[in-house]
Amino acid sequence: MWQYEKKLQYPVKIKEPNPALAKIIVSQLGGPDGELGAALRYLDQRYSAPTREVQAILNDIGTEELSHMEMIGTILYQLTRDLSIKEIKESGFDTYFVDHTTAVYPIAASGVPFSAEYFQSKGDPLTDLHEDLAAEQKARTTYDNILRLTDDPDVRDPIKFLREREIVHYQRFGEALRLTQDMLDSRNFYAFNPSFDK
Amino acid sequence: MAMLSEKEKLMLKIQSASFAMKEAELFLDTHPTCREGIEYFKKHKELCDKLKAEYAEKYGLITTDQQTGEKKWNWVTSPFPWERSID
Repeated sequence: MWQYEKKLQYPVKIKEPNPALAKIIVSQLGGPDGELGAALRYLDQRYSAPTREVQAILNDIGTEELSHMEMIGTILYQLTRDLSIKEIKESGFDTYFVDHTTAVYPIAASGVPFSAEYFQSKGDPLTDLHEDLAAEQKARTTYDNILRLTDDPDVRDPIKFLREREIVHYQRFGEALRLTQDMLDSRNFYAFNPSFDK
Repeated sequence: MAMLSEKEKLMLKIQSASFAMKEAELFLDTHPTCREGIEYFKKHKELCDKLKAEYAEKYGLITTDQQTGEKKWNWVTSPFPWERSID
């Protein structure tokens, strides 16, 4: 279970609303490589992980992803405060506004709602950990792209923090993969699935 | 960054200590016998506990288990962290 802490993992204080930017950043909440998909991927995969170390890394990175969802939600909330109807229309935010007003809702930047099709929980630790490594790189690229699209330092600062976390998580998943391979037969890693075959 | 209030400075210290713990936690998950890592985790945990208690006393609860007193449920008297002006 979890205990909530009334604080963000890293500060978010955005002075200037920017609904057009919110429409892009929402992808890191509900898009194909977003934080919601990351949290669900790791928190679902952890049950069938082969060792305590791999269970722990999936559990603890999955937990951190929940705090990243909260940071993205906060960025979206602060970017869409105090908007006039004129600003909503001119920024192109009207297509989001019509369905969600200024609430936070998990969709991709394209408007496609969040889907569990964005991730896999395969029950084979080599397969799952390779997916996790790729997922961290995909999220890192998305953050790189967001950084190309904004020069507001109040937004760039927390986005840079989140980007860096993808790199640290990639490192830890690489170690989890090595630990998993070390317990398998090095002549044929695929001889059996340690999460299924006894 | 703009001038920070005393409250914001204290929150930033908590976020730093808490982040150091999170980093150590993930590192120790894959290096569970690293003594230096365990020591690092412990050092930041002690600091973090102290700072959180100070914050709860001065500005508001961080977790509901910091509740004291019988008259008012203090959880609802301080802002949630997505609110822009924490002060």
